[in-house]
Amino acid sequence: MRVLAARLRTAAWLGWQIESNWAAPFLFVVYAVLRPLAMALILAGMYWAVASQAARREAFLGFYLANAFHAYVTQVMVGMGWVVVEEREDYETLKYVYTSPMGMLTYLGGRSTVKLVLATVSMVLALTVGWFVLGLRWDWASVAWVPLVSSFALGLVACVHLGFLVAGAAMLLPRVAITLNEALAVAFYLLCGVIFPIDLLPAGLRQLALVFPFTYWYEALRRFLLGHGASAQLEAWSDGALLGVLAATTVAFAMLSHWGYRAMERRARRLGRLDQTSLF
Amino acid sequence: MRPGEGLVHFLRAAYARAYVRMVGSFREPVWLITDAILPPVGMCAFVLLYRALGAPPSFEALAVLGGILSAFWINVLWGMGTQLYWEKQQGQLQLYFVSPVSRMAILTGMAVGGMLATTIRSLVGIALGFGLLGVRVPAFDVGMLALVFVVSMLALYALGMILSSAFLLFGREAWHVSNALQEPVYFMSGLYFPLRTLGASAWALAGIVPLGFGVDAMRQVLLGKDARGLAPVEVETAILAGLAVIFLIGARLALAHLERLSKQEGRLAQRWQ
Repeated sequence: MRVLAARLRTAAWLGWQIESNWAAPFLFVVYAVLRPLAMALILAGMYWAVASQAARREAFLGFYLANAFHAYVTQVMVGMGWVVVEEREDYETLKYVYTSPMGMLTYLGGRSTVKLVLATVSMVLALTVGWFVLGLRWDWASVAWVPLVSSFALGLVACVHLGFLVAGAAMLLPRVAITLNEALAVAFYLLCGVIFPIDLLPAGLRQLALVFPFTYWYEALRRFLLGHGASAQLEAWSDGALLGVLAATTVAFAMLSHWGYRAMERRARRLGRLDQTSLF
Repeated sequence: MRPGEGLVHFLRAAYARAYVRMVGSFREPVWLITDAILPPVGMCAFVLLYRALGAPPSFEALAVLGGILSAFWINVLWGMGTQLYWEKQQGQLQLYFVSPVSRMAILTGMAVGGMLATTIRSLVGIALGFGLLGVRVPAFDVGMLALVFVVSMLALYALGMILSSAFLLFGREAWHVSNALQEPVYFMSGLYFPLRTLGASAWALAGIVPLGFGVDAMRQVLLGKDARGLAPVEVETAILAGLAVIFLIGARLALAHLERLSKQEGRLAQRWQ
């Protein structure tokens, strides 16, 4: 256990160096917060534009909240795919990491902790801007703490484990992995009802949204923090049912991810993809 | 050199670079997903947000146009801004500099090719927005829309020509700078909401990147008063034309400066700097 902790720590430290050593600390922080801050401001601009004319403007807080938490999906889950792409294509070091005694899975786990920290910074920043600048506030007295913390933790587990699956796919795929990473970030933003209720999705996509744990995650975060969700379809579910489905889909995807990662890693190794650079 | 020969060389080089950009971008089908499908998919989320809030339908049209134009900004950033940096990484930049053609011709070719390829790809955004999501706009002046679009693209891609030189100086930061300029420019340009919402600061923000005036003017042509425009279309178009001229001159100066600097410091062929 101590050895595993030391390896995770080393991977996290290396991850931090890779993520941040291209710029001075201040500049790095500016770059790190610029995108999430701009995204929050875009949503704020949309809200300001329609605030006096929108029929359901009170729903905005729930969408803004989910958008803040979506940083975990883009930075942690999708970020693990980027780790593989960068190591293989840019630095050409994936083969060395792979053959080191640390093990690829431990390395990815360690790298994901840095991304978890960066995502947390993004999330806190977005919520702080919302609270102080945009006046998007909730009643702390009505927060359901136990289910909120449980659902938050389940969401993080889903992000990290699905990240392994994305990393496995990135190992197997050539440069198209870049497209996959970008597509996943956008697809989950649309599919899981981050900034609108999934009820508005066309038939087919609506049913597909119910497969992913993130759909329930965003709904649970809204419900347990604000006291109400966004989706009419999920509104009828009890708190227990919502948490239960979130837990079940998280466990199912975690198992699928581990199996999928192993299978894709084996195949990538067999096909000689681990040290194959495919950029131009 | 005979009279007019320089111009012929310029046009040939520009055509050659535009050809590579057009053919190359369609030769890699997966890029179609990144360039043609992903930006409008993001736009769908913003349209559905307006729908979820119960906003007037004109806001949905406004977001669709913003989503379509976001593809052009992505192309300017990644297809123009970071292009020379990538050429350096691949060891081709020095070939551009030793070839007997104007470097401006190469940048012009890159811009024209990128613009045409992105225009074709923007059809996906039109199909998703006006087809799948059922967003509607009233009858509009097609000629005026085409004029505003062309002037906007001239200004935008002229800025891209400056960025391509500037990004070379950033070295490894180029990737991060490009990443960091995506959403902030969407916000500054009011891509998904009327720029006027930002009050007096809108003028300053729109003046930095021409996308803001471009999208605002095009929205006014499409939606009229519902676009909640910042200034009359004619004024915005004139500003865009002025910006295009200034940026083109700036691109020429930036390129000359870069070439001089690179030769003095011998950094043209150095990767990972």
